[in-house]
Amino acid sequence: MLRASEVCESAGYPTSSLVCEGFLGQAAATSVGLGMPNLPVATIVGHPGAQSSEELRDNVLRVTADQVIDNLLGQPAEKALPPEPGAREIVFRGTFEEVNAHFYEREWSDGLPIVPPTLEKIEAFLSFTDRDPDEILGVLLPESRAATVWTVAVNGVMAGCRPEYMPILVALIEAMADPIYGVEHSGNTPGSDTLIILNGPIIKELGFNYEQGVLRDGFMPNTSVGRFWRLALRNLAGFLPHKTDKGCFGNTFRVVLAENEDALAEIGWPPNSVDMGFAAGDNTVTISRMTGSAVLASVTGATPEQMLPYVADGVAKETGWEIVFTTGGLTFGTLRPTLVLTPILASTIARAGWGKDDVKRYLFEHARMPAWRAEAFSETWADFPIGSLKRQVNLGRLPPAFAESDDPNRMVPIVFEPDDFMVLVSGDPMRTNAHVFCHNGYLGFPVAKKIELPRTWAERVRKPE
Amino acid sequence: MAKTAGGAGLYEVVWPCGERKQKIRPLAERLDTLNGKTVAQLWDFLFAGDEVFAALESKLRERYPDVKFVSWREFGTTHGVNEKELLASLPQRFKELGVDAAISCMAC
Repeated sequence: MLRASEVCESAGYPTSSLVCEGFLGQAAATSVGLGMPNLPVATIVGHPGAQSSEELRDNVLRVTADQVIDNLLGQPAEKALPPEPGAREIVFRGTFEEVNAHFYEREWSDGLPIVPPTLEKIEAFLSFTDRDPDEILGVLLPESRAATVWTVAVNGVMAGCRPEYMPILVALIEAMADPIYGVEHSGNTPGSDTLIILNGPIIKELGFNYEQGVLRDGFMPNTSVGRFWRLALRNLAGFLPHKTDKGCFGNTFRVVLAENEDALAEIGWPPNSVDMGFAAGDNTVTISRMTGSAVLASVTGATPEQMLPYVADGVAKETGWEIVFTTGGLTFGTLRPTLVLTPILASTIARAGWGKDDVKRYLFEHARMPAWRAEAFSETWADFPIGSLKRQVNLGRLPPAFAESDDPNRMVPIVFEPDDFMVLVSGDPMRTNAHVFCHNGYLGFPVAKKIELPRTWAERVRKPE
Repeated sequence: MAKTAGGAGLYEVVWPCGERKQKIRPLAERLDTLNGKTVAQLWDFLFAGDEVFAALESKLRERYPDVKFVSWREFGTTHGVNEKELLASLPQRFKELGVDAAISCMAC
């Protein structure tokens, strides 16, 4: 944990950080962002998770210990960083192919062709915000770089966005910079990627897809804004694969999921923006980092009671090791599994008089896993020790529902309370499928921001029919 | 976009990254010995850090018999939901505990 070492060094305490062999490159890059490029590290040979206790001990005694001593007693040499260009400085001049090669070689692009960020194109994006181009929206780890309105526009251009998407892009970076979200964790092992949820009239004004194929590329707003997010992680925050981005397998970016607000209005359910604390009709973005997702095909039934057992089963099964975000292996109660219902499923449930809260309550009571399995993820299958669920309940850290008996087969919740589930409505209106996302807990906690439109919005963006 | 003599488009482009806001700062002064010094153990509760610290303690004591340790148990996880608050509290906690240096793990 280099962030801890940086705090100690700043306060005058020498440190040695212990870093596994496969993470030495990440440590070197992260140290720069922390303002201490010479932060000393000692190597943990291999990975502790793949060694016996005896092997691990032997490796620590043979390799790590001497390095720790050196790190605490020997003053590391100072390191300087090379100068970097100014925001408006022309860094390259060339053809489309040459610009793309230049950007790719410097790790400024994701491997797909980018739109060259010329001053003219950037200005077009800036015309869709009333914010000062030099305004700092946040300082983003791991490289501690300032994300400004200007750099948002640059990366929006590169991603293939249209200028009028700019208000959404600004709101996304404000969300990325929110400490509750925890952007600094975006390079961690699970390789999770962010789900962007869009709400408000802007969905139709800009032509976002919110029906069939909502999670498929092929729709310019959904796709290019999704691509922007990952370019921003790369260029604004500094997450680079093989360096600061250590997702073991990783994921490609997710396209934006826009909710079907017509369908929600018809059945009287609030949109996600309201669940996140905004008024209905507000334009908002919500971000939440997801470890994975799955479709529940052909959800069948004419009533909630007939449909929801399958849905609850799917929600529960999509959660595996992530239960440690609920039960204390990593945190208590920060898991936010997300269910997407198609309009026809939502309306069938609503027809029985059920609201979104009823669905969440049903999931809380039925999307459960056996206690032995929840404990296995902490104690034996993975390494997130908590002792036992009962111990944590006795310590007052888990709600009583996690230890209602000593039966290892008892079913325990996967979240603390019903509201921890997020329920969205989108996708093919007449298809009876659901989609479940498993969440990455506090390492990408849901955050929502209101989208600020420029004063000229109404004149420049045509209202949908 | 500029034009070449032959008519092919040339693009003049800017840098896509933001300015570094974290300036380079010096590290703390190192210790002259570990004998008589107190070393704090900081752990993010991942990947057998408890076993690593146990092994390290034995080796460091062998070389520096008077070294003292403040266990990771004293601080709790450094990678929890309260990470920022916990890290901010460390300087004061170190002062109270008489800490001279720290070992932080586990970056995996």
